[in-house]
Amino acid sequence: MKPLRLAIAGLTACSGCQLSLLNCEQELPQMLERIEFHFFPMACSPAILEGEYDATLVEGCLSMPHELDLLLALRQHSRYLIAVGTCAAWGGVAALRNGENREELRQSVYGSSTATSGSFSPQPLHAMVAVDAFICGCPPEKEELLNLIGDLLRGALPSPISHPVCSDCQMRENLCLLTERSALCLGPLTLGGCGARCPSLEVPCEGCRGPVPEANLSEALELYLQKGYDHAAVLGRLRRFCPEWKS
Amino acid sequence: MSDTDKLDILTRVEGHGFVELVREGERVVDARFHLHESPRLFEALLLGRRFDEVAEIACRICSICSTVHKVAALQAVEQVLDVRISRQTRLLRELAVEGGQIESHALNIFCLALPDYLGVGGFPGLAVVAPVEMQLGLKIKALGNLIQETVGGRAIHPFNLLIGGLGKVPVEDKLRLVLDQLAETREGAATVTHFVSSLRETLPLLPAPECCAVSGGTALFGDVLATSCGEVIPANAVASWLNEQNETHSHAKVCRFDGEGIFMAGPLSRLKLLIPPEYANSLSGAPVSASLLARAIELNQALERAMAITRILLAEGIRKEAPPTVIPKAGEATALIEAPRGTLLHSYRFDSHGICVAANIITPTAINQAAMEQSLRQLVSAMEGADHDQVKTACERLIRCFDPCISCAVH
Repeated sequence: MKPLRLAIAGLTACSGCQLSLLNCEQELPQMLERIEFHFFPMACSPAILEGEYDATLVEGCLSMPHELDLLLALRQHSRYLIAVGTCAAWGGVAALRNGENREELRQSVYGSSTATSGSFSPQPLHAMVAVDAFICGCPPEKEELLNLIGDLLRGALPSPISHPVCSDCQMRENLCLLTERSALCLGPLTLGGCGARCPSLEVPCEGCRGPVPEANLSEALELYLQKGYDHAAVLGRLRRFCPEWKS
Repeated sequence: MSDTDKLDILTRVEGHGFVELVREGERVVDARFHLHESPRLFEALLLGRRFDEVAEIACRICSICSTVHKVAALQAVEQVLDVRISRQTRLLRELAVEGGQIESHALNIFCLALPDYLGVGGFPGLAVVAPVEMQLGLKIKALGNLIQETVGGRAIHPFNLLIGGLGKVPVEDKLRLVLDQLAETREGAATVTHFVSSLRETLPLLPAPECCAVSGGTALFGDVLATSCGEVIPANAVASWLNEQNETHSHAKVCRFDGEGIFMAGPLSRLKLLIPPEYANSLSGAPVSASLLARAIELNQALERAMAITRILLAEGIRKEAPPTVIPKAGEATALIEAPRGTLLHSYRFDSHGICVAANIITPTAINQAAMEQSLRQLVSAMEGADHDQVKTACERLIRCFDPCISCAVH
């Protein structure tokens, strides 16, 4: 059987989604039997874009012109392009001050230096190219990446998740940090699939997987208000990973 | 794609950079390392955020180093807010940081650096030419991740490390599992040093620059920066001593230091500065390329230290601790720590409501840029007469000796 020909690229990000794949230590040797890691600059030399790819996994958001060039080239030569991680899917942490003047932000760090002057407000991949599937999380769960690889090997795409972190949390019979402890837990509004990793250790969900489809923001805001959190506080937290939350 | 499109990017490093050779006719006269990672502007992103958000956001600077970023940020915030941590929390944090050291060093040795020595492109090639070593490396790497996850709740971006303590302390059974695996891995890991020292080094022996490393605490922790010139710099004076400058060829600020010297941070520097004097002689003249061996030695030290900490924690018994009461107050503080690649600094100022009003983060790769430039120049002159491709390959190998973390450097 022909191996699955993959390209794996990182844009504006922390490399955590790519590292999550390399953290599948037990499965990596087996993956090599079925996968050709053809373009994977973080782990393999040389980095040459050549031929067509069965799938391309892209980590990170777009914030520099050269990233757009790479993304367009990858899109053009890939059957499937998958946004991996919350930065690629929603903008992520780098986008948390989107809506403000980028040049002023940039100058607050770099002063008058022009080295990074091409930098623009971080955008998710789907703002610029067609994206065939999304894997969310900061970082995504290893199991999600392994399932993605499994789906791609069958020529399929992963089915989208539609439940919130709260459902995962209830499955684990965790104490509800929002209702029982009045903690600012973003579980009701956040995409599930993580097994409620944080609330299971009594740490409130920080929303790192971005919005769940059909999130009922106004209802949730009411609930948060009852617990003493005003809209600005909740939206401030939500926008840590996704600038698109609007009141 | 019909054409072969050579992307001029440095591979097998974290983040984005490339080496540029400067030529006069056919002669290579200089080499520069460009860090062209996209800036996320973390020092701006953190402004206006409350004290309890700072470490959660700052750890996103880098995945490989997320645990140590988290701990550095927590330490700085706790200093400002006068939050004391328990001995148990201190030990658990140290264990998590050692886990990060193990994972990062195993990743560098077995995945990023080893292909240079065995003539393959990456881990797929290693699986063919060195399957036993690769399996061992993956096992050690997985153990580093297990440790980080056991304490931090997740191997990357550990959410369970909080101001003053942990969300939930790990149950003793999980620590016993860590201890069992450390004991099981120890023997194999001990062979790594021997294996690495048996590799044939093709890089010219380039003298290592002066060294700097955090000192004054246990293992990777401390509150001063010590240098091979005998300086001991207190945490709050380190940023000005490092003297970060904006330069046009790098998206990261470049440390130009306070004076003439060029300093290197990282495993080799730590060993040179911190090992007992009886071993110091064998390392004092070690070249830049000895960094790989230094990493292998440190990998074993980290495994030993992790084992010792886990034993202490189990002997003393794990207790659930009440979270501290935190009252916002104005102030500023700087925390230092040794990340896998060298000295890491997090510095924050808060207003009386606990809102972050200033942030400064200096990472090992920002510190090492001047040392990398100097070593590149020395390499180019040592390879006088070699052809362009040979010089370029050697330059890239040299850069990998520093194990740069470019997301960290640019942040």
